[in-house]
Amino acid sequence: MATTLRQRVDRRMERLARPRQPEPLPIRLDRRRVYVLPTGFGLFYAVLVGAMLVGALNYNNNPALLLALLLASAGLASLIVAHLQLSGLCLDALSADPVPAGQPMRVQIALSARDHRARRGLRLACQEVSGVAPPMTTDAVVAELNLPTHRRGWLDPGRLRIWTTQPLGLARAWAWFWPRQPLLVYPAPESHGPPLPETGGGGTRARQQASGEDVHHLRAYRTGDPLRAIAWKPSARRDQLLVREFEQPVGVEVELEWSALTALPGEQRIRRLAHWVDLAEREGRRYRLRLPGDTVLGPSQGAAHRHACLRALALLPDA
Amino acid sequence: MRSAGNTHAAPSLDATSRLWALAATGLCLLVLLLQLPAGLAWGTAALAVAMAGLSWRRPVPGPLRLLLAVAIMGGVLTVMGMRFGRDTGCALLAAMLALKPAETVNLRDARSLLGFALFAPFSAFLLDQGPLTLLLATLGVSTALLALSRLADAEVPAGDAPRLPTRQHLWTVGRLLLLGLPLMLATFWLFPRFPTPLWGVPERALAQPGLSDRMSPGGWLDLMADDNPALRVQFFGATPTPDEMYWRGLVLWDFDGRDWTRARGMPPLPDGAAPALPPRWDYEMMMEPTEQRWLVALDLPLAAPADARLDRDRTLTARQRMNGVTRWRVQSTPPADFDVALPPLLRERALMLPEGLNPRTRALAAQWRREAGTDDLAIVRRAMTWIRRDFAYTLETPLPGRHAVDEFLFDQQRGYCEHFSSSFTTLMRAAGVPARVVVGYAGGYRNRFGDYWIVRKMDAHAWSEVWLPQRGWVRVDPTAAVAPERIFDTLEDRLGAAGGGTLQRNPLFDAGDWLRRGWNDFVLGFDARRQQDLLRRVGLSRLDTTGLGTVFALAALLALGGMAWLLARGERERDPLLRAWHALGVRYTRLGLARQPHEPALAWAQRVAASHPAAGATLVPLSQRFAEARYAAAVSDIPALVRDLRRHRP
Repeated sequence: MATTLRQRVDRRMERLARPRQPEPLPIRLDRRRVYVLPTGFGLFYAVLVGAMLVGALNYNNNPALLLALLLASAGLASLIVAHLQLSGLCLDALSADPVPAGQPMRVQIALSARDHRARRGLRLACQEVSGVAPPMTTDAVVAELNLPTHRRGWLDPGRLRIWTTQPLGLARAWAWFWPRQPLLVYPAPESHGPPLPETGGGGTRARQQASGEDVHHLRAYRTGDPLRAIAWKPSARRDQLLVREFEQPVGVEVELEWSALTALPGEQRIRRLAHWVDLAEREGRRYRLRLPGDTVLGPSQGAAHRHACLRALALLPDA
Repeated sequence: MRSAGNTHAAPSLDATSRLWALAATGLCLLVLLLQLPAGLAWGTAALAVAMAGLSWRRPVPGPLRLLLAVAIMGGVLTVMGMRFGRDTGCALLAAMLALKPAETVNLRDARSLLGFALFAPFSAFLLDQGPLTLLLATLGVSTALLALSRLADAEVPAGDAPRLPTRQHLWTVGRLLLLGLPLMLATFWLFPRFPTPLWGVPERALAQPGLSDRMSPGGWLDLMADDNPALRVQFFGATPTPDEMYWRGLVLWDFDGRDWTRARGMPPLPDGAAPALPPRWDYEMMMEPTEQRWLVALDLPLAAPADARLDRDRTLTARQRMNGVTRWRVQSTPPADFDVALPPLLRERALMLPEGLNPRTRALAAQWRREAGTDDLAIVRRAMTWIRRDFAYTLETPLPGRHAVDEFLFDQQRGYCEHFSSSFTTLMRAAGVPARVVVGYAGGYRNRFGDYWIVRKMDAHAWSEVWLPQRGWVRVDPTAAVAPERIFDTLEDRLGAAGGGTLQRNPLFDAGDWLRRGWNDFVLGFDARRQQDLLRRVGLSRLDTTGLGTVFALAALLALGGMAWLLARGERERDPLLRAWHALGVRYTRLGLARQPHEPALAWAQRVAASHPAAGATLVPLSQRFAEARYAAAVSDIPALVRDLRRHRP
């Protein structure tokens, strides 16, 4: 794809602009790293006011001159205001819940400012994705960006551009954040993968199916419970969310072994294992993950274990 | 969250923003329309409303727009009589601006619409610089800026979040304007002005009402009702009495039976021809724009001021058309021995009358001449006695016929200054007394508030000058013989005659006019010369363009710095305690002892104390007091703590 001139200029500007390397959080924008340039409309406005100034000076028409000067100085003041929209802004945190590769990652960007000036119309861009920060009238806000993910592992969001054309749209003020804050991307699970490998005795199958139907008892909802475990009808009767507690599957631990999948190429294996981790979680079974290098995770179950397993899978070196 | 992608397509325009942009455009257009001929203005206004309505849902198709544009250009040129002048240009701009909403689709179009709209008040100033135009222009431009602010807000996709309230936009724009004020004023006073324009000011295609170099009896009715000032005068030293205030403007020599016109080809007054008389009156006039070149002056000006010429008639002509407020310092003297040696050519010209007109006047004049012999003065006296006895003053006169002077002298015997001066001059010429008509202003009204005199357009007057042997040109005012109060009037007279009007001679009116004069003085009449005067007063004399540029650059930098400082001040920490605390933190950060974001004040102080015991000895109690002042309910002596925090150096 041919790069346009604008893109080339942008890239060149990026290389010159501060910061020139990643920095630890929190990052405060000081006045030296806020850049202001007129927008296209700003240039049009400048030409217009310039023509007015020359005309008024030539005719020595003082009201016209005052008008032109009023417009010119208001325009200049708007440049300063635009600059101040950004300077003093602080990037406190950058976080995102990990997602499987290929799904957009919801990155949360926490912004704050020590001064209490109202900031509106702040826009953010990161890797070709742009978004809008909520108006800052209180102390801190959280903006969100949906970053695309392509591969598992650490995602470096790179430079984060923040810009605004407030207050009159005559100038664009922008600045760069370059947080040293990698974000984790899980491997994409295999779609339509095979069911969990059954390594235990034959009785396990019956027990497992029973676990799906025999409700042992109901208990109150706790954060983190899977949605599908909620018993909607009893919940509606009781006015509170209730969760079905199944009979604890005993002796149905699933062994997820890297070394058992020798038939598949490396990346496929990771995807298969990720699929199984998810599947095991869904079916509420305990599982153990064995990875090369004597890494053994579990047996266990739950969000933390799932995260540990998927993280380990995500960070496996490329095959 | 909505990821808009990196599209370069212009954002769409919501209904409210469109309304704002259209309203601002309408206001700007109104300023200009008020200066255009009424028919054209109404037409343009109707077009603007129609375009705004038609394009509300979808843009007006291109061919229709083109057709309209061509039709409008034709219409404007027709109204303006196919002459291209300043007002023609302004009318075209107004028409195009009225058409522009038709193609306003997205946000970018709205912005360019506003950009063009800003030109409308600017062009209105080329036609008029009065207070109403100023007020409306300020309003229009502020609204346009408001609309820009609104568009900048609308550009950001906000989803369900409410748009910024109007109050906020007002505050934003008001602050921008206030912040820009120092820079604007510094530039206005100090930016180097062109002593002569780079290119000329195009004339108007349609003439403005006012005194002109053509007088036809009955033509000044509008002028006599216009109470706007024509000039303001300040006297230095002696002040003439109101009946001495004859402001001579133009001398009209040629009469065609209907109109009096200025003689063409009069040679300028040769140097040294003016007798060296002692000046009687020294005064400065501030003339309102007339779009003409001739000036007025009290009786006989002694010398031409800079940028003007003294003519043979002892009238002044400016080098350039007076399109703005101009200022003239003149010395004058009452007429004595004025042109005693009248060249035969001029004498002949001062006796010329159109053939075959006004037979009764000619007969009467011939009879008077026979009876008076060579005594010209007796003829003048006789005419004045007659006029004083039999004539009356009125503004209600019938349209003149073919023998206008005969009709006036023998049938109506009622009229105003134009009739009196025209008829009297004709009578004198018929009797062989050289005579001419002079137009200008008579009288004046002293503004007690500012101690200066105002001559209004309604003070326009016409009188005669007759040439008498050994005395030269002598002023004769037949109107004054009939109705002196109508000429050297005070406002009370006029109010009494008109049965009370809107004009009240009250301090408020005086103060208002005084303000207007100040505005004229400091803003409208400000030019390169005045700029030098201003700088001389502060001790900077004889600055060339470079010097002036330096002064301007310094002032502009100062103003810009002030703007930045004022703005930056607004964004600092409001709480003085926190401010002092942060400043302290910065001092330690320089030493590499920055407080970590998660570190409580006291823990940090103790950490510092561990490595730098000397600094820590003060810092630990300070941070303890800070923590107490900040978090404990007990009120401690905060100013003292702030002082101590500021004083502490690691």
